[in-house]
Amino acid sequence: MANYFNSLPLREQLNQLGVCEFMDIAEFADGVAALKGKKIVIVGAGAQGLNQGLNLRDSGLDISYALRQEAIDNKRDSWKNATDNNFKVGTFEELIPGADVVVNLTPDKQHTAVVTKIMPLMKKNSTLLYSHGFNIVEEGMQIRKDITVIMVAPKCPGSEVRAEYLRGFGVPTLIAVHPENDPEGKGLEQAKAYCVGTGGHRAGVLRSSFVAEVKSDLMGEQTILCGLLQTGSILSFDKMLEKGIDPGYASKLVQYGVEVITEALKHGGVSGMMDRLSNPAKIAAFKISEELKTIMRPLFQKHQDDIMSGEFSSTMMKDWANGDANLLKWRAETGETAFEKTPAGDVKIGEQEYFDNYTLMVAFIRAGVELAFETMVEAGIKAESAYYESLHETPLIANTIARKKLFEMNRVISDTAEYGCYLFDQACKPLLAGFMKTVDTDLVGKNFNEGKSGSVDNAELVHINAILRDHPVEVVGRKLRKAMTAMKSIKTA
Amino acid sequence: MYQPKDTSSYSFVFNRGYCTLYNLFIRNWKIMSESVVNILNLNVRFKDKIVLDHLSWNIVRGQNWVLNGISGSGKTTLAQLIETPKGIDGTITYNFDKNSPLPRQVLYVSNWYHFRNLEGDANFYYQQRYNRKQARDTLTVSGDFQVFGKEKNLDIADADRIIDALGYRELLDSQLIELSSGEHKKLQLIKALWLKPQLLILDQPYAGLDVASRKNLNTLLEELSSIGSQYILITNDSSVPNNVHMYAQIIDGKLVAADTNNHHHEILHELEPLPEFLTEKPVYHADQVVKMIDMNIHYGEKQVLNHINWEVKAGEKWLLQGHNGSGKSTLLSLVCADHPQSYVDGLFLFGKQRGSGESIWDIKEKIGLISPELHWYFDPAATVFTSIASGFYDSIGLFKQLPYSQTVKVREIIAFLNLKDVQHELLNTLPLGKQRLALLARAIIKNPELLILDEPCQGLDNDQTQYFNKFVDKLCANGTTLIYVGHYESALPSCLEKRILLDKGHVVKIETIQ
Ligand SMILES: NC(=O)c1ccc[n+]([C@@H]2O[C@H](COP(=O)([O-])OP(=O)(O)OC[C@H]3O[C@@H](n4cnc5c(N)ncnc54)[C@H](OP(=O)(O)O)[C@@H]3O)[C@@H](O)[C@H]2O)c1
Repeated sequence: MANYFNSLPLREQLNQLGVCEFMDIAEFADGVAALKGKKIVIVGAGAQGLNQGLNLRDSGLDISYALRQEAIDNKRDSWKNATDNNFKVGTFEELIPGADVVVNLTPDKQHTAVVTKIMPLMKKNSTLLYSHGFNIVEEGMQIRKDITVIMVAPKCPGSEVRAEYLRGFGVPTLIAVHPENDPEGKGLEQAKAYCVGTGGHRAGVLRSSFVAEVKSDLMGEQTILCGLLQTGSILSFDKMLEKGIDPGYASKLVQYGVEVITEALKHGGVSGMMDRLSNPAKIAAFKISEELKTIMRPLFQKHQDDIMSGEFSSTMMKDWANGDANLLKWRAETGETAFEKTPAGDVKIGEQEYFDNYTLMVAFIRAGVELAFETMVEAGIKAESAYYESLHETPLIANTIARKKLFEMNRVISDTAEYGCYLFDQACKPLLAGFMKTVDTDLVGKNFNEGKSGSVDNAELVHINAILRDHPVEVVGRKLRKAMTAMKSIKTA
Repeated sequence: MYQPKDTSSYSFVFNRGYCTLYNLFIRNWKIMSESVVNILNLNVRFKDKIVLDHLSWNIVRGQNWVLNGISGSGKTTLAQLIETPKGIDGTITYNFDKNSPLPRQVLYVSNWYHFRNLEGDANFYYQQRYNRKQARDTLTVSGDFQVFGKEKNLDIADADRIIDALGYRELLDSQLIELSSGEHKKLQLIKALWLKPQLLILDQPYAGLDVASRKNLNTLLEELSSIGSQYILITNDSSVPNNVHMYAQIIDGKLVAADTNNHHHEILHELEPLPEFLTEKPVYHADQVVKMIDMNIHYGEKQVLNHINWEVKAGEKWLLQGHNGSGKSTLLSLVCADHPQSYVDGLFLFGKQRGSGESIWDIKEKIGLISPELHWYFDPAATVFTSIASGFYDSIGLFKQLPYSQTVKVREIIAFLNLKDVQHELLNTLPLGKQRLALLARAIIKNPELLILDEPCQGLDNDQTQYFNKFVDKLCANGTTLIYVGHYESALPSCLEKRILLDKGHVVKIETIQ
């Protein structure tokens, strides 16, 4: 199989990368009608599979689960998830032939094997649905021509998909139709109906393409979302230990700091986050983040280039073939870092203290969000897509670090994201070695404002504020956040 | 002036010479009159409102207090500040007994406990405990006790006694997330009694406890003070422990203390006539609102509902009762379409077999609900106005622009309930009684076919409960179907006509209320 994106002429590449339309709620007026009474069979009952299925059934649709024989025989978690919730469960052979829609929610690595197995069982003119386009775009999976191929990708971990639905809301979602597989022209209507069934239509839906989703999703998760959060956390922790800050305090500041700081992103974007700092700290964070942007820009560009050329996915697939050797090695190394092994101390850290004592992380986040966004847009990805894959998801990932540090983050995200995250982290740490030498405890570990006068130069502050607010990620963010103001706020410890 | 009731130390003294007696007397007197917490000129404002106004309070060692009076007077605020005096205007001085082996701390057990998992993550969501996938993330109750005991160096045998006294043994194997909010609060209570801090503050400790547990709690509190701990209870209940020494109320932001209980009853205004739209009979889709034929629900091995048969007809007023853990909330979650296991034969809602193509929103549209869980997980960003308005959409918080006709109804009900001056305040900053009224307004705003009130008076005092129930009686006069969950002891609306009693997941009685 050949990389689908690379098989396209440039014109078509740009065309598909540029599919990006923020959909009006009125486009969902038909609700779930397009799928009503249809047999929907979900393959895999993991984080996405179970929670999407619960929502769809609660929206009045007919849901059952096809699992592999071993999972049923050994009563594995996927089997328990489905049966404990009174879903019908069966083997591929039992359920796939009767399905009008087959939803593939197995891990991306398994997609080729799974799809190869289910495709011959699928009935004529049925639909295959994904929540991520890796298999189609990077592996170039070819689907039988009578089958419609669509994507509905919630931009949140599975537990959020369920939680938001139950409160009568939803999570932002990307939908797409694969242009090679829409023989009857029903793809979009079905994707919309599925999206309504998961509750996504209430929180803002972006009409995208398989290509745009994959190329932006990979870029976001490797750089700002997971990679930089990991690098920034480890470097900050090590710096504090080096400077004699209490390890328990340092561990807690880093573990919960990202969550508290990025919570501000949700409400007011990058400028909202920067506004939480005192004026002098804001100016300092601005200057440092400019420096960080300069240092890290080539690395962000390399990641984007490798994603676009297919270099990233082919390297990763070699690792799959090699029994995940690199992934497992890097995972073990992450488990051995001092940050991971030092438990958070039993100290109270106030909400504002996380900003005042962790200015460095604020700078990392601003640099990372803006760089990821800028690099994606330069590569032909539209601003709205780039926003979702950078700023929007950062607080959601940060939340997982607050739960159980980097281990939890890397557990919750997909293997693909985890692999890309380590790749970035390996390259970024040495890149920042020189910069980190200049960092002292006023930026991480102690209150930045301590012993400093609060005065700043008016003109400088006004200038910096304008730069922050006028950045394109802020402009598009203000528009999109209006549609998502009701997102649940994460409560912090 | 306070007189110690326990005279054992004095009899001991008589065996010695007069001189020793005198010395000891002086020592004792000093210890007794020494304060454990002394509050001077404490001020608290909430926006423009003065909550505490130069409040001073000397809590003498060994004194047990009851803090009572009207809701919203600042009791809870004061108690929280005594436990954690962060950023206060005024002074609070602590003077714990250094010779006592008991922890030198103030522990406050709130009326309304917000569950967090091991990592301190409070980010759970409504009905999550019914979601099997996530339920396994938390500890069991007994695991939680072990962690706590180890951390605080406590004797497990001691906990066992308290667990039995408060009737908690049956819950030991439950996952923390499976507990109801009342059960969580009890868990906190047990831990506090086990820890025995030098000063214990319990906010509405009796709310949600049955008669036996209340009596046992009082005995435990009496014991506690005999070993050198002391307590403050925030309650308007009159059946308090025998060794309460002082009573106090907060009036106009100041503490007014007395040695007898003479708290003023809340002056609750008479109910006005209901807004017009609430007096209309709801439009019924079927005569049969709920029907269950041989319903069974289990979590893994644990069977929580056993062969349930039950029918609720349009217009009927039901009382649903049972001990904590008897299956009441699971039963209700089936009716509210919240339970993932409700897609089975034998469940009919509003005349339709469950799972015949309806969405949960089609069902919720016909139900008005209040429950401790709903309250607990309610949107922290919701104001009184948006909370009530969200009742039109059955969402937890308002995510839509409200049409004019609905805005008018929200305004009417706000005026009716006297909530006008707080309508733009955050719901969770109001006193509990007002929050419940607002949530009741949310439940009835669409004039639903079925009203489900699951322990709507939990945490409310007698006066507030009476007022609330009168309101319910009035509301249901229009023919609304009612399912009301109330404790045996609590006052109930008088409109109730039938009762279903659950025990350990079985229906043990269905009867007409005389
Ligand atoms: N995680 C996220 O935040 C997120 C967000 C958006 C989209 N997505 C996408 O959603 C999809 C599913 O991800 P996930 O995180 O939900 O995965 P997951 O939690 O790892 O669940 C995978 C499920 O697939 C089953 N499975 C694994 N290999 C299989 C095979 N060869 N044949 C049949 N079933 C198999 C597993 O069951 P057994 O092992 O028991 O058989 C399990 O139930 C992916 O495409 C991912 O990119 C994920």
